[in-house]
Amino acid sequence: MSSTSNATGPLALSTSGSVATHCPYCALQCAQTLTPAPGGPTPVSVDGRAFPTNRGGLCQKGWTSAEVLSVQDRITMPQIREGDGFREASWREALDTIEFRLRGIQAVSGKDAIAVFGGGGLTNEKAYALGKFARVVLQTPYIDYNGRFCMSSAAAASNRAFGVDRGLGFPLADLNGAGAVLIMGSNMSVTMPPFVQHLSGVRERGGLIVVDPRKSATAQLADGGKGMHLQISPGTDMVVLLAILHVLIHEGLVDESYLAEHTNGWDDVKTSVAAWWPERAEIECGVDADALRQAALVLAAASPHQGGPGAYILTGRGMEQMSQGTAAVTAAINLALALGLPGRVGSGFGPVTGQGNGQGGREHGQKADQLPGYRSISDPAVREYVAGVWGVPADHLPGPGIPAVQLLKKLGAPGGPRALLVHGSNVVVSAPNADDVRKALARLSFLVVCDMVPSETALLADVILPVTQWAEEDGTMTNLEGRVIRRRTAVAAPGEARSELWILNRLAARLGYPTGFSTDPQEVFAELALASKGGPADYSGISYERLDAGEEIFWPCPESDGEPHPGTPRMFLDGFNTPDGRARMVPVDHHGPADDVRPDAPVYLITGRVLQHYQSGAQTRRVDSLNAAQPSPYVEMHPLLAERLGLEPGAMVELESARGVIQARAVVSDTIRHDTVFMPFHWAGAGSANRLTNDVTDPTSGMPEYKVCAVAVRPATRIGATA
Amino acid sequence: MTRIVVIGHGMVGSRFAEEVVETLADADVTVLGKEPQAAYNRVLLSSVVSGVANPESLTIAGPDHPRVATLTGVSAVKVDRAARTVIDSAGAVHDYDFLVFATGSVARIPAIQGVADSDGFVSGVAVLKDMADAQDIVKHALSARRAVVLGAGVLGLEVATGLAKRGVAVRVVHHADRLMERQLGWEASAVATTSLTKLGIDVHTGVSLAGAQATRGKLSSVRLEDGSEVLTDMLVMCCGTIPETSLARQAGLEIDRGIVVGDDLATPRDPAIFAIGDCAQPPGGGTGLVAQGWEQSSRLAARLAGVDGVTASEPRSTDVVRVKASGLSMATMGVSGDFDRADPRLRVLSLKDPEGGRFIEVVVSGGLLVGATCIGDKAIAADLATLYTRKIPVPSDPAQLLIHALAGQASAAKDPAEMADDDIVCNCNSVSKGAICTAVAEGCDTVAGIAKATRATTGCGDCAALVAKLVTAPSTPTAAPAATERAVP
Repeated sequence: MSSTSNATGPLALSTSGSVATHCPYCALQCAQTLTPAPGGPTPVSVDGRAFPTNRGGLCQKGWTSAEVLSVQDRITMPQIREGDGFREASWREALDTIEFRLRGIQAVSGKDAIAVFGGGGLTNEKAYALGKFARVVLQTPYIDYNGRFCMSSAAAASNRAFGVDRGLGFPLADLNGAGAVLIMGSNMSVTMPPFVQHLSGVRERGGLIVVDPRKSATAQLADGGKGMHLQISPGTDMVVLLAILHVLIHEGLVDESYLAEHTNGWDDVKTSVAAWWPERAEIECGVDADALRQAALVLAAASPHQGGPGAYILTGRGMEQMSQGTAAVTAAINLALALGLPGRVGSGFGPVTGQGNGQGGREHGQKADQLPGYRSISDPAVREYVAGVWGVPADHLPGPGIPAVQLLKKLGAPGGPRALLVHGSNVVVSAPNADDVRKALARLSFLVVCDMVPSETALLADVILPVTQWAEEDGTMTNLEGRVIRRRTAVAAPGEARSELWILNRLAARLGYPTGFSTDPQEVFAELALASKGGPADYSGISYERLDAGEEIFWPCPESDGEPHPGTPRMFLDGFNTPDGRARMVPVDHHGPADDVRPDAPVYLITGRVLQHYQSGAQTRRVDSLNAAQPSPYVEMHPLLAERLGLEPGAMVELESARGVIQARAVVSDTIRHDTVFMPFHWAGAGSANRLTNDVTDPTSGMPEYKVCAVAVRPATRIGATA
Repeated sequence: MTRIVVIGHGMVGSRFAEEVVETLADADVTVLGKEPQAAYNRVLLSSVVSGVANPESLTIAGPDHPRVATLTGVSAVKVDRAARTVIDSAGAVHDYDFLVFATGSVARIPAIQGVADSDGFVSGVAVLKDMADAQDIVKHALSARRAVVLGAGVLGLEVATGLAKRGVAVRVVHHADRLMERQLGWEASAVATTSLTKLGIDVHTGVSLAGAQATRGKLSSVRLEDGSEVLTDMLVMCCGTIPETSLARQAGLEIDRGIVVGDDLATPRDPAIFAIGDCAQPPGGGTGLVAQGWEQSSRLAARLAGVDGVTASEPRSTDVVRVKASGLSMATMGVSGDFDRADPRLRVLSLKDPEGGRFIEVVVSGGLLVGATCIGDKAIAADLATLYTRKIPVPSDPAQLLIHALAGQASAAKDPAEMADDDIVCNCNSVSKGAICTAVAEGCDTVAGIAKATRATTGCGDCAALVAKLVTAPSTPTAAPAATERAVP
């Protein structure tokens, strides 16, 4: 660890040769300073850097991120499958192989036979280029990405209600002044620890309300008079929201003038929650009616129309990763609108984006139904404009594809895609019902995976292409606030690892498009900005020059003839992005989990994260200090459940769902309900949580129901037998 | 097109109409509702009385649907099963392929001398069955000093506590020897009685009303069967309900307590006619709870659409009784009240704390919670309800259900002196107490110094105070006072 003195502005380089960039992991995108350390244990040393979001803080993942640059099994040369293993190959041979196979499959089975799977960790530039590559070069409708597993429910609900989806919609630091913050199914104390600094104000005011089946580290922030924890039965988050709105209506605490002025549909929403009186909600969600009432009163007292200092409603994957995820987020939005929060300085609604570029990744064309600028691929005018930017006729572009879970199911199936290109995703660990995903990949004729390490998915590939990672590349990311930030190169990539921009450039050229795929991130960004022009996520006024000059820019930031547009730190101050400027309120109702507890599976399984690991763990499981702290998957359970099953802490336990069986060690903790077990999902193999999870999806967003399913729990008798 | 006529536009009839047009694409639904307004939340009428619910906000009927015609202020007067038609009070004839009775129930009114004259109830006397009743009770409560509530069932206690909350002196008169005798056993009733007394409510059990007296057209007193005279401005009779079956009886359907239906909710004599909600008598009997009616509504909507059995899990239990009594937490479910506690198939455990206003009884059979009574502990009541409705196995020692074992313990503030060396101080960076003490021993004397040496405090910053304590702990007497402000690079 180097000195702590380089908390300079966002400029690219300091005098010491240090580089200002951001952490490779989550959407908080903590600011880092990287200093090349030739001969050191890692290629660069890492420091936290003062920034409005992380205020210089980093979690253990961020501090140790440089170790991933030089992990022992880093892929530094293209790899081509040979029997059960791989052999190193030149780029020419690897690209020859890919070109030959893709051309062959297209010739036999058509253009729809190639599919692309992207990732929410890719830079804006890569995400954009990937979407363009799929539509222009491959001409396949089949592109989607792992952001489908992350933000799709929040995105669908936000787009429907507000006409746009920009994560928080306000700078994170605004939370500091709030009188109440309602957190629905997010555990930021563990997933993005520096975020918690922004909750200190609301905790001092006693207004932190955390809804979670576990007394998570975040829920514990409400202890000691700092707020409330509502420890719901899994899958019932939405009931809390409906009951709180019910109480507000009956107490006369909704913001009637805001509703009249800024929304449509309130009457139907009001009627729809009449059926959720608190005593009924109590039976469904397991939180007593008085606590629900109290939560409603705390939120109302903090709201602007009651003269409060401001209130926020934040949603996380705990609530969104359900087959009713879109409806649940809609319920949160309805509540926020009823309190008059969105579009008011010091109040608001926002989903807390998870992946590093989960926001930007969903704006630039990786989504099955979207073109850059967060626009519909089915809109003729949009197709015409974007095709024009891309230099092809509009009818060259394919129509909408299908969401991730459906796409994975279709791989190798009759009439489905026969080849898949994977970029920045480890689907056999991170997708639901993972055993079926593994089978689907095995059905493919050809699988190409771009990765920096031999992830579990890469190991199934026919060709692995080695790619650069965060400290080895330039680009932009869009953080959970909708703030566009710069990622900057600190060191050269090892061996023959290349940026995906370069790979797409070469593949495009081989497949007939020698131009249009720049390898220069700045050029790609300029094109992205142009392609996004006029869309909800308008980047056309943003440039590397402005970002490198230290400007803080939040989209939308349209191009301007006069003074540059300053960007939009706070959304909706002048109305919503709907044709009439009003938010659309949509009545929604709760239904229980699709895979509910039953006599032979009487325990709920919920899944989530640990602090030390990120996503499928492909990066973090390769860092010694992180592994030392969290070495293996586990099943967290209440002492009463452990006692009923005769399990000692640390014993191996077996979980079986309708989809799979896993084994992992038991961790006994009274912070979880005794009808529920929790598993982190960062591991592959015998203890891989997603072998159990349910791949039923939300009808609107395509989000799978990761967050709740029914399992049988028993002591493991056959060690490792189910691996 | 499938023509469906629903008689009754209450909580169940309206829900069914909404659901069946979703499940059955060619359903064309006509709903006949005798009340003049759209369907509203009848369950909350007692909350209107207590002032917790706003009568303006009870509407429960969903938005208009093109395939649902809702006629309000129109009742059904005749069902012609042979012609498959319903004739309404406006003379219109409605053809049906399926007919659904959702006529609900009416208040049972005991024959008490003096409560009514030829114009109806004497002023100050009421039942609570519809919105007009609730508004009438509220109107009287605004000026009343005393009220008698006849009947200590669920509704009676909700009304009694609601009126007490409004500052009215309430006396509950109940014919049975204990309160809520269908749901509560003796001990539970005793605890409930004590709790009601603490709310200022007088409770008289084992006695009925003999008569009521009016002065100048207004209720002035009631007389109990024991001869005592009680001055009162109000009398609210909460003496149970009777399923509304008259039209079904006229139509020649089988009537017992309610309209008899099978497990499929169809009437045995006419497979085109169904009954749901309070008017129905399914094989297990009606509970009078809306949850049962709504479950029947969903089931019937699915059945008419031919999607029976799409849900793998069996329906959740719907007989949780959650009393909405201001100032008194009370819930019962499944096996409760007066049952055979010596039944060897049942394991019955209870916690009795009359002084604390607490009574909790759980009934376990086959490893599952099959019944419970919970007075005076709302969090436990909520926990028990989720266990019961979802049929989740109980702990090996069910006594754990009687205390706060389910919820996580509050995280105690950490005392550095009591922490072991390998206890984690900084979760964000996995830094143990031992690592920090080592850094202190090596000369770090500020939080900033510890941050630099160990990364502790550099994540969320929540452990800064604890680190400051470790820096200044007696074991390191040479350390300078540490700034508690969190330090980051």
